[in-house]
Amino acid sequence: MKHGHSILLVLSVAASAGCANVDRSRDLANPAVPGKVLAVQVCSNCHGVDGNSVSPAFPRLAEQQKDYIVAQLKNFRAHHRSDPAGSEYMWGLSRSLTDKQIDELADYFSTQKERPNVHADDALAAAGKDIFENGVPSQKVIACASCHGPKAQGIGAFPRLAEQHGDYIVKQLDIFQNTQGRPGTPMEFVVHPLTGSNKNAVAAYLQNLTE
Amino acid sequence: MRNRLPATLRRILWASGTLASVALALLSGDASALPLFARQTGQNCLACHAGGQFPELTPYGRMFKMTGYTIGERTKVPLSVMGVLTAARVADTSKSDAPQDDFQKNGVPQFATGSLFLGGKVTDNIGAFAQVTYDNYFTNSKGYFQGHSNADNIDLRYADRFVDNQRDVIFGLSVNNNPSVSDPWNSAPAWMQYVPASSTTSHQFADPNSPYPGFGSGGNVAGVSAYVFWNKTLYAELGTYTTANRGFSFMSAGIEDAATTKLKGGNNPYWRLALSHEWGAQNIMVGATGMTAHVFDGTTDPSDSGAYNRIRNTGVDAQYQYLLDPHTITAQVAYMRQVTDYSANTLAGASSFVQADGATPVAAFNPSDTTNIFRAKLSYVYQAKYGGSLSYFNLRGTTNTLNQSSGFDPCFAAGAPGAGSAPISTDADATQGCAPSTRVTGNLSGNPATNGMTYEVFWLPVQYVRVGAQYTAYHKFNGATDNYDGFGRNARDNNTLFLYVWGAY
Repeated sequence: MKHGHSILLVLSVAASAGCANVDRSRDLANPAVPGKVLAVQVCSNCHGVDGNSVSPAFPRLAEQQKDYIVAQLKNFRAHHRSDPAGSEYMWGLSRSLTDKQIDELADYFSTQKERPNVHADDALAAAGKDIFENGVPSQKVIACASCHGPKAQGIGAFPRLAEQHGDYIVKQLDIFQNTQGRPGTPMEFVVHPLTGSNKNAVAAYLQNLTE
Repeated sequence: MRNRLPATLRRILWASGTLASVALALLSGDASALPLFARQTGQNCLACHAGGQFPELTPYGRMFKMTGYTIGERTKVPLSVMGVLTAARVADTSKSDAPQDDFQKNGVPQFATGSLFLGGKVTDNIGAFAQVTYDNYFTNSKGYFQGHSNADNIDLRYADRFVDNQRDVIFGLSVNNNPSVSDPWNSAPAWMQYVPASSTTSHQFADPNSPYPGFGSGGNVAGVSAYVFWNKTLYAELGTYTTANRGFSFMSAGIEDAATTKLKGGNNPYWRLALSHEWGAQNIMVGATGMTAHVFDGTTDPSDSGAYNRIRNTGVDAQYQYLLDPHTITAQVAYMRQVTDYSANTLAGASSFVQADGATPVAAFNPSDTTNIFRAKLSYVYQAKYGGSLSYFNLRGTTNTLNQSSGFDPCFAAGAPGAGSAPISTDADATQGCAPSTRVTGNLSGNPATNGMTYEVFWLPVQYVRVGAQYTAYHKFNGATDNYDGFGRNARDNNTLFLYVWGAY
């Protein structure tokens, strides 16, 4: 019984100490929690504490364009983006974020340093480089670089793609090509003629692309 | 018997299908109708559960648990419910004196159990997971079925996390009632077994009741543990357990005193070490665990210090996951060694059984036993909807006359009434009740060796309903392939088809 009392005592002390802990909170509905705290306490679980996610199931956010991160979080929050992974993972997490928290989150990840990704197949990447820089004129596919920048660094609402996970790129291209899950971008028209091997090639190139 | 199987199967499948449809109709009407934790984070079940196959956790699910269930928003109604509909059919029910008792509701669909969960985020640092389970087929003291509820897994946590680009340290405290229920990996004893089974005896050989690595203390005890997870790499946990009574009686609530596990004092330590690594879409954990528990042998008086078995467990386990839509692959292996030093009171007794001559006593009890349980499971899920798994289990152990529940009866010795007619018998009265044996579950060899395979297919029509079929095939049971109970029952007679519909809301 002595043990029982000491355990309950420890718990009650812990409870009273734990009520307000905005510096290390994982509360997604408390506007007082800074975006940076949520970034490291919650977002980091999948996207990495420095925005370099390990799993290709989750996009890398390091050095991503701030405007793009803000736009996507607001799209998730408003359910404008309904691709399966986006809605399954992100609708809930973003539902109570304030504009200020979104701005802070975007600020945090956009200023993290991107690290080289796992190296994809060089031959595939070489084919992808051609598509990225020149498009596929015969299929009227414009060069990716024309919007995403020559080094795929992105600009404003056009996302950075360099060093992104190839699998993530392919899945997003599929979504643009086959669904209405990510509306309101030029991508659904741009990617329309792309073949499966086109997509794999450009994804491999982007995964390997370092500045 | 063979002719009846298809009809029974049809009945089971029909019932399962109907129940699944009802569950679907009830649950799919409200897109926000997700269980407790999903409501808290607003995420889909598969964010935390690998390929949606609850309860197996993804790397994110493990972080959710280790940070004390505190990610997300506190919910207004922190409740979830879970229900399990099952049917089990044992291959051979003829080798039994009373099939209606040995294989209750064989092949009959039944509402087996229901659970109520209470918990989720409480504060920024405190969260809870508390389960109360209703058993629809609890056997009461008069031997009848009745509905009955008791405390199931409970895990109350305090956790904090210090994380930046240089370090990532999670530490926490867990007050819980089942050693390893606090563990984030699913090759841990409390989590490797997953589908709940009915209490009816038709389910006694179904996979949930086949050998799984476990701790000698069992559940419904009370403990506290402290843990740390360093840089997503090293996990260490240390705790100790005591009897769940007095201030902790809520941890064994609903369980009558005689059935409550009683531990000696508060020095029943539990430990866990694990190394974890993630690369690409894959992750692996290699770990070790152990516990020393002094468990009341149930014989005389708990205040008697000679009434406690000392049970030492040492285990190693590993889990590999590949998680990238549309594929989920999981491999788990777990090995647990258990050394039981029997209490003085236990060893003061002697076996009632004799050798085949009907007169020579069997060997004296060994003062200790060692068992080794190995279990491996490989599972695959496609699109978080269609899945299958393959499991192998192998329990080996020392032979001890203490473990015999069947044997030669001294009342059949030459010259005794009924001599020579049936030297192994379940009949206590006609032979003056010297040492009756047990049919079906009896152990003639005194050796626990049991091994076999379980094959499973399942379907997740929606994320919170799982419909599955498991077939468990035994190669050895209670130390023998053939005639393990002394009455001609063979291991393969226990092969069981187990169907379930498992839903949560």
